[in-house]
Amino acid sequence: MSLTPMALRSVLRTPTGLRPLLLQAPRALYHSYEHAQPPPYREAESAILSSAFTYVPTHGFTQEALTLGAKDAGYLDISTNLFPKGAFELVKYHLTTQRLGLKDRIQFPDGQMGVGRKVRSLVLERLRANADTGVINRWQEALALMSLAENIPASLRELSALSDEIWFLSGDISVDTSWYTKRASLSAIYAATEVYQTTDKSTDFKDTEQFLDRRLEELRVMGGAVGNTLEWVGFQGGALVNLLRSKGVRI
Amino acid sequence: MASAVPRAAKRLRLTNTPGYVCTDCRRAFAASTQPRLQQQPPPQPPPSQHVGQTAKTTHFGFETVAEELKASKVRTVFSSVASSYDTMNDLMSLGIHRLWKDHFVRSLNPGIRPTPPPPRPPPPPPQSQRILDIAGGTGDIAFRLLDHATTTNRDPHTSVLISDINPQMLAEGRKRCLSTPYHATNRVSFLEANAEDLSAIESSSIDLYTVAFGIRNFTHKATALREAYRVLKPGGVFACLEFTPNLANPVLNALYKRWSFGAIPLIGQLVAGDRESYQYLVESIEKFPSQREFAAMVRETGFLVPGDAEGGGWEDLSMGIAAVHKGVKPV
Repeated sequence: MSLTPMALRSVLRTPTGLRPLLLQAPRALYHSYEHAQPPPYREAESAILSSAFTYVPTHGFTQEALTLGAKDAGYLDISTNLFPKGAFELVKYHLTTQRLGLKDRIQFPDGQMGVGRKVRSLVLERLRANADTGVINRWQEALALMSLAENIPASLRELSALSDEIWFLSGDISVDTSWYTKRASLSAIYAATEVYQTTDKSTDFKDTEQFLDRRLEELRVMGGAVGNTLEWVGFQGGALVNLLRSKGVRI
Repeated sequence: MASAVPRAAKRLRLTNTPGYVCTDCRRAFAASTQPRLQQQPPPQPPPSQHVGQTAKTTHFGFETVAEELKASKVRTVFSSVASSYDTMNDLMSLGIHRLWKDHFVRSLNPGIRPTPPPPRPPPPPPQSQRILDIAGGTGDIAFRLLDHATTTNRDPHTSVLISDINPQMLAEGRKRCLSTPYHATNRVSFLEANAEDLSAIESSSIDLYTVAFGIRNFTHKATALREAYRVLKPGGVFACLEFTPNLANPVLNALYKRWSFGAIPLIGQLVAGDRESYQYLVESIEKFPSQREFAAMVRETGFLVPGDAEGGGWEDLSMGIAAVHKGVKPV
């Protein structure tokens, strides 16, 4: 096992009894600078999936595309047994590779944009990737596959990972409960926008862009309203307690 | 209800072979009671197959036997169960083994779908797969594979080579083959061979290697896996359907153990008239490596195990009573 110097240092700082735990789980569930993330697919898998993916625009997200891809990669028809989930594996491949490729698709000049603007451009960039890879016309098939009961957990995991990736790339460093609410609300917005995108016939996805802007605006208004309401409730509660104390109630 | 089964088993026990008894304890117990039981025949001297510490041994159910004897003992077991094999499987698994086998074959998806021929002649020669069904004596899996290839993938060329160590099981398979649509074609062939030495089959010639409920009887599982790796083409698939020693859920596991050690030898005695063979059957399941260990063995042989990234690498059937292991030979 290869460890980065940083990771090695944190292992050596840990009490001896706990070191195996650190070595066992080199995968971080969050963005970690210390743990290098392993590549999502093994060599043979990514060879088959990437060549199968070139058949998606013509054959859709199907077992057939997977079989043709396996043959192109020098494997046999039967080798698609490497992918127990069949066509869904192609969908997952697209989701994973585009999520990991997002950081290379877009660069932000330092200190020019706010976090909100960055999130907007990241979401748009990710949606553009659906069109650039040529799968947008087949994306409804993918959404259908993702909504099958057996695939829902994997799809949701991928959605939350994407949402996390977008917030991370936009430079958000919140460490309170808004870490969760931000990711949850962005997941909902992204999912809605993606469904809208599959029906969008406008040039360069102008309508999708406007749809996204409306959703983000709603989120801003909603977030503000919820924040204000909570502040008001907290203030009134405090005032009530003080009032009762002034009347001699022991609180 | 559950406790009635062993009691019935006790009542019906015709031979003086106990059911689920650890042989080591039994021997120790027999030795300790020997002075008091003078009228009993003296405990048998260790038979020749119970060899000393120095020779290589393996397990045969809960017994320990010399390695070279296991194959012949397994052969004896299956010779005696060949005729009533299907009835017994239905009774022991309540018919679920058919569902497992159907699922196993469906998930493998054998056969090659014909592609529309390219516009310019000549059309390519029809492609077909060569499937090797190890320990497939009665053809249970083989005919299912052919059915799937023919009806689902419209592939009339894929052929299966059925291999078994046991001539009686193969004879049963030949008999059954006559009633299938494949007996007049050259799509089914039979081979009597030990899965640890498939020298009759050339290297890199097989598309799909299947072994259903067979691999736990092999003396050297790792050797058999290496042999599978050798005969498979690059990209070929190794697939194994096998019982697991323990269920994940402890409560269900207790119930399941009750069933397999109480009922299965009893059903064997009543239906097939052969308690010993079915006692061996349940004991051999107990001795088979767990899913994790077996997946590691498949991986060590050099196969790519599907679903490795999720930490698994196998598929549990019926809450883990049986499991499917697959491996793809890398190109």
